[in-house]
Amino acid sequence: MVQVGKAHIEESVFPGELSAQWTRVRNRLRHEVGDSAFRSWLKPLTLIEATAGGVTLSVPTRFMRDWVATHYADRLRALWGSEDPAIRSVDIVARASAAASAETPVAANRATATTPPTTPPAMLATPAIVPADGAQLPVDLLDLDANLDNRFTFENFVVGKPNELAFAAARRVAESSTVPFNPLFLYGGVGLGKTHLMHAIAWHIRKRDPNRRVIYMSAEKFMYQFIRALRFKDTVAFKEQFRSVDLLMIDDVQFISGKDSTQEEFFHTFNALVDRNRQIVISADKSPHDLEGMEERLRSRLGWGLVADIHPTSYELRLGIMQAKAENTGVTIPEKVLEFLAHKVTSNVRELEGALNRIVAHAQLVGRPVTLEGTQEVLQDLLRASDRRVTIEEIQKRVAEHFNIRVADMHSARRSRAVARPRQVAMYLAKQLTARSLPEIGRKFGGRDHTTVMHAVKKVDELRAADQSFAEDVELLRRMLES
Amino acid sequence: MTQLAFDLPQRPALGREDFLVADCNAEAVAWLDRWPDWPRAGRLPAALAIHGPAGCGKTHLASVWQAVSAARRIEPRQVTAETVPALLEGADAIVLDGLTADIDERGLFHLLNLLGERDGHLLITAALPPARWAIALPDLKSRLAALPAIGVGAPDEALLAAVMVKLFADRQLMVSQELVQFLLPRIERSFAAVQSIVDRLDKAALISRRNITVPLARALLAGGNTENDKEGN
Repeated sequence: MVQVGKAHIEESVFPGELSAQWTRVRNRLRHEVGDSAFRSWLKPLTLIEATAGGVTLSVPTRFMRDWVATHYADRLRALWGSEDPAIRSVDIVARASAAASAETPVAANRATATTPPTTPPAMLATPAIVPADGAQLPVDLLDLDANLDNRFTFENFVVGKPNELAFAAARRVAESSTVPFNPLFLYGGVGLGKTHLMHAIAWHIRKRDPNRRVIYMSAEKFMYQFIRALRFKDTVAFKEQFRSVDLLMIDDVQFISGKDSTQEEFFHTFNALVDRNRQIVISADKSPHDLEGMEERLRSRLGWGLVADIHPTSYELRLGIMQAKAENTGVTIPEKVLEFLAHKVTSNVRELEGALNRIVAHAQLVGRPVTLEGTQEVLQDLLRASDRRVTIEEIQKRVAEHFNIRVADMHSARRSRAVARPRQVAMYLAKQLTARSLPEIGRKFGGRDHTTVMHAVKKVDELRAADQSFAEDVELLRRMLES
Repeated sequence: MTQLAFDLPQRPALGREDFLVADCNAEAVAWLDRWPDWPRAGRLPAALAIHGPAGCGKTHLASVWQAVSAARRIEPRQVTAETVPALLEGADAIVLDGLTADIDERGLFHLLNLLGERDGHLLITAALPPARWAIALPDLKSRLAALPAIGVGAPDEALLAAVMVKLFADRQLMVSQELVQFLLPRIERSFAAVQSIVDRLDKAALISRRNITVPLARALLAGGNTENDKEGN
């Protein structure tokens, strides 16, 4: 399933005792150097050989070998020695030289750990280069499966006040064996479900009457296919394919506005189908009347049938959609998180779904349950208008307020505990929240030296580890400054 | 006679094994390792947008993913409404590395749609999360805002040290720990600053024909620290 970090060569090839020693050595090292350095440098170490007097460890690359050998070899030797006094040497080698095929286990592991990407039939059916002599159109126009998304059905469409008219009209088209209105023109803002309804119509018809020929296509695709047909001088086949269908659906028709020859072709296709009493469904971001860059005669035709608009979502509808989608994620999502999303992500359903995807994936990746706090953190780029940069001055002001001292004390030479501690906290936060260099931070705190800043950071780290309420104080300040 | 220092392009090591995993990028790496199990919103391709400051390893991550997914790399400036079908011909995984505000909006919109229709995969890297880009086309804006975006965050000390060593190693230079410890507190704590100091030290060493040492670094920093004191960034 989810695979995080690097793949390691199986260590069970070594006797249990040796593996256990290696595990203890690693754990003690992690403790000594801290998680961050451990992950960067020591976690990638792999035990590859053990002889009477020594062990050999490998790292992925040459420069890591140099670094580990320079900085950690002594500790490794000492720790191994304490496990087994017979071990006197620890060799570090780069994996590339230890095993020429260092990449292979990783690649192999990945291949089995995950499912390979599927190659959709549409791509196979679309040849990369159409031979000039036997020029022909790709045959995927009628290959509906390739163009339809099986998640977009009527059953999966959450109906509410803002979309009930469009939903009812779409169902009517799907269920009717005659043509109830031509065309059905669905319009509304982005990400509100127009495409979903069109796919749902196609699925429904496919189930009920597989012999009916349905084409669903985005307007841009129509344009690309048409241009291609022009290039290969094969417009006759192009026209035939479109005009022989029972139901034609063109999504986002506004994208053929301004393209004269494509519009012309679309207009003729449209008329031909209407004449033969075949159903047409069109979607757009505006009503036919408001479509810009579209010829008047086409605009007026588009408005002949039923024009159904989809309104922006209401809070209730968004919450309903979130609840429906949350059920399918396989992850438990607290109701208050769903309410929060429905409240905050108001623009459209696509963004709501994207937001839900992100918090679910995040929860899976870090292996923690979904919480409101986590959600706010993961979605901060969506929820906050901009990434405001915290300045050192702001930090000083907030920290001074919090500890009830004067801002001037941040710069003063006073060393009493009551002002020194808040000052250290502010320095610590300045280091955490800004990218300023330590000398620069020192300068902003009354011209102090960068070693003073380093000392403050160390001190605050110690206090955070020792004193829970102090740690919470600092955390609270950090959040306030970041929000 | 002074030694001339040429701006020879560095050839950085960009393999998965060379990527340094730390707190600030662990989640981005986890997302890449999770591929192809990436979520989709609506008809969008299964996509991931990695964002972060210059030099934080976005291109490196993109290369790692490109290798495992056999993705096609497309230069963002090549993307236009007209070129997209040809650019995507025969590809179901795409890398767009280093997207900037001047991207052709119609082109990117079509790219998302066409790639989504064929259940394709997409990796984008940029300085800012897609939800923050100044996009005029509402259809594109909403699609971008629905993509999973993961930030590569501010680096901690250990990672900056590691990156510094890696950048020196990319230039076949082995430096002492003393030098790294000397430099880190004195430069801005960003990847860009590390990159810049490594550049400048390499050049200074070449010109003065000295080894890269603490005294050389001290002389360089004393000589002009303007670059690191720059506001903004």
